[in-house]
Amino acid sequence: MSYRVGQLIPVFAGLLFAAGSATAADTGDVKTGKLVYERYCLSCHGAEGNGQGEAAEYMSVKPRDYRQGTFKWRTTPSGSLPLDSDLEHTLLNGLYGTYMPTWLALDERSRRDVIAYIKTFSPRFATEKPQDPIVIPPDPGYSDASVARGAAVYKKYNCSQCHGAGGQGDGPSAHELKDDWGNPIVPYDLTKGHVKCGDQSTDIYRVFMTGLAGTPMPTFADSMSSADAWDLVHFIQSLSPGYAKNMVATVAGRTIGGAQ
Amino acid sequence: MAPKVSLRGILQVAIAAIVLFVFVSPASAIPAFARKYSLRCTACHESWPVLNDFGRNFRDNGYQIRLGKDDTVTADPGYWPVAIHVTPAYEYTKVTNVPTDQGPKSIGSGGIQDASIDLLTAGVLTKNISFLVVPTGFASDGNVHLESYWAYFSRVIKNSDWFNIRVGQFEIDLPASAHRNLELTDSYLLYSYHPSVPGGSNISAYDMGQNQRGVEIVGHDKDSQTRYTLTVFSAYDSLGSSNGLSSPSFYGHVQKYFRFNDGPVSQAEVGVWGALANYPTQFLTTGGTAIPGSGTNLQSSTRYGVEANVWLGPLVAPLHLDLVYGHGSDKKDLFQGTADRGGTFNGGFLEAIWVPPVDLLHWSLFGRYDVIRNQNQPLIVAPSNYDNQDQWTLGVRYTIAYSIRDEVALHAEISSDNAKGIGAGGLDQRTDAIMFGVDFVY
Repeated sequence: MSYRVGQLIPVFAGLLFAAGSATAADTGDVKTGKLVYERYCLSCHGAEGNGQGEAAEYMSVKPRDYRQGTFKWRTTPSGSLPLDSDLEHTLLNGLYGTYMPTWLALDERSRRDVIAYIKTFSPRFATEKPQDPIVIPPDPGYSDASVARGAAVYKKYNCSQCHGAGGQGDGPSAHELKDDWGNPIVPYDLTKGHVKCGDQSTDIYRVFMTGLAGTPMPTFADSMSSADAWDLVHFIQSLSPGYAKNMVATVAGRTIGGAQ
Repeated sequence: MAPKVSLRGILQVAIAAIVLFVFVSPASAIPAFARKYSLRCTACHESWPVLNDFGRNFRDNGYQIRLGKDDTVTADPGYWPVAIHVTPAYEYTKVTNVPTDQGPKSIGSGGIQDASIDLLTAGVLTKNISFLVVPTGFASDGNVHLESYWAYFSRVIKNSDWFNIRVGQFEIDLPASAHRNLELTDSYLLYSYHPSVPGGSNISAYDMGQNQRGVEIVGHDKDSQTRYTLTVFSAYDSLGSSNGLSSPSFYGHVQKYFRFNDGPVSQAEVGVWGALANYPTQFLTTGGTAIPGSGTNLQSSTRYGVEANVWLGPLVAPLHLDLVYGHGSDKKDLFQGTADRGGTFNGGFLEAIWVPPVDLLHWSLFGRYDVIRNQNQPLIVAPSNYDNQDQWTLGVRYTIAYSIRDEVALHAEISSDNAKGIGAGGLDQRTDAIMFGVDFVY
């Protein structure tokens, strides 16, 4: 019996070596990342990373074309490449209302590897560095007064042109919008209680300051104060009970504190 | 003149072939989900139909992604949650030491199998309520039965993943799924094995790999790295006891996964499991025939054990090793007066699946070694190694194509099972099988 076991050792060692040779180092391994991409991403984003996978044709929100190096969810300013951690954030959280699921079940190595591979689709990653993340000041807290001020901000910045007076994504321009690739795109219905890039107040704030690259949603970093941005966040949060609100003031005669 | 083969021998081979191919056929990969979520089979399956981490988490979440695309109302109007699975295949099976009028003979028989199909329907009825219904059969015998039917209620208490409920007929949460395994010519010995008396019978038909009717409580963390299941069910193929829950039986399973960010091991898992299946042994009769549902004197088949999984190399293309050990015992009364004592055994298997790290992950190689060792023979005078079994399987699978709509693969495997003393005249009996098939699901 020991003779047979001895025969198996080199076979097993060979398999172990074959499997282990593809193990990622501390940074993402592009070769393994390609396999991760083929397993999970290819059907939507396509073999060339151009967002033209076999499923893309049937999707209303088109998969991202990676070749431009533009990504919706970033902590970096408008025009900048994203950080690796930004791409990982999208992998971990998905994009609500689209076919981009949360890849929470992927292990950290796989995430690192696929991010390294996705970056190979755009030459920008080889020549540019991402800018520093924007600074998000603390949420001053949800209150009726802030909501009221936010409504004024919503009007001042003409958000209703796309998102509609009631925030339902039905503004006058709603049906004319296209993304950078010429695909029709609809403004988000803010009354659903979820937004694409995360439901936390900081997620909503970030969108105002970074914009959504590749879409008609611009950045307001140069024109909107942080106070106005927070009021606008609270106004959007008031459109649906689905949003988690960090209340610090008296609402309708009840004192509410902490997270809801 | 060639010796005549007995009808009994032919039946043995035929039954073995039918059992091997019809009942072992995996039935749980569901392109309806691929269509709904625009994901390829590879997203959920390490090597189809074996689930990977994403697939396991998706299943634990009640087949929900939870990003606004689960409800059927949000799906494309053309979406219909039905998939069909069938495996046309050639299989040759040879059984040694079959008792015939001409003495112990080896009988081999091959041909394109009379395959059955699975109609897989599954999806989300409304937020946090999902379902699965699987009619199986449609072979030449015309029989169709429901292999699975269940409803799953997610996040029942305080929106927590730690308490979900499944009701219906379903596969219990085994260390390695008997419905999602790669092997097509054999089954996990540990799941179906029972100690036996030479020439006698055992009233317990408990097969862990068979779907059971009952209620399952499932709990897991957000990415299903820690999970548990508790199942209460009526034991499979029992004539039925006169209890509120006929043949009341119980199963539990706890698993913990560990991930490693460096080194050759990318993930490991350990788990414990146990089952207590009760069968009635005394019945009221009519005309000498037992009346279903009148059974009393419940006696148990007990199974419990441990498991360990290791994934070597990247999780996307791993060498996955699965080691399962179990101990089983069947009470004396289950042998209907033919046994001197209860029977006990130890068993387990080591399974390996390797997905070579090549473009598009078309290949998978797999193998398994099963072992059964009896501890206490129910009949004291029986040889201590009576019905000890060793079984090995080797196979290769090449996926010709997969998409968000379907998958088609070529599948080849060879297996051999050797059982001590159960052949004619107390000889060992070996069953060898080889098969080549096309496995497709749409």
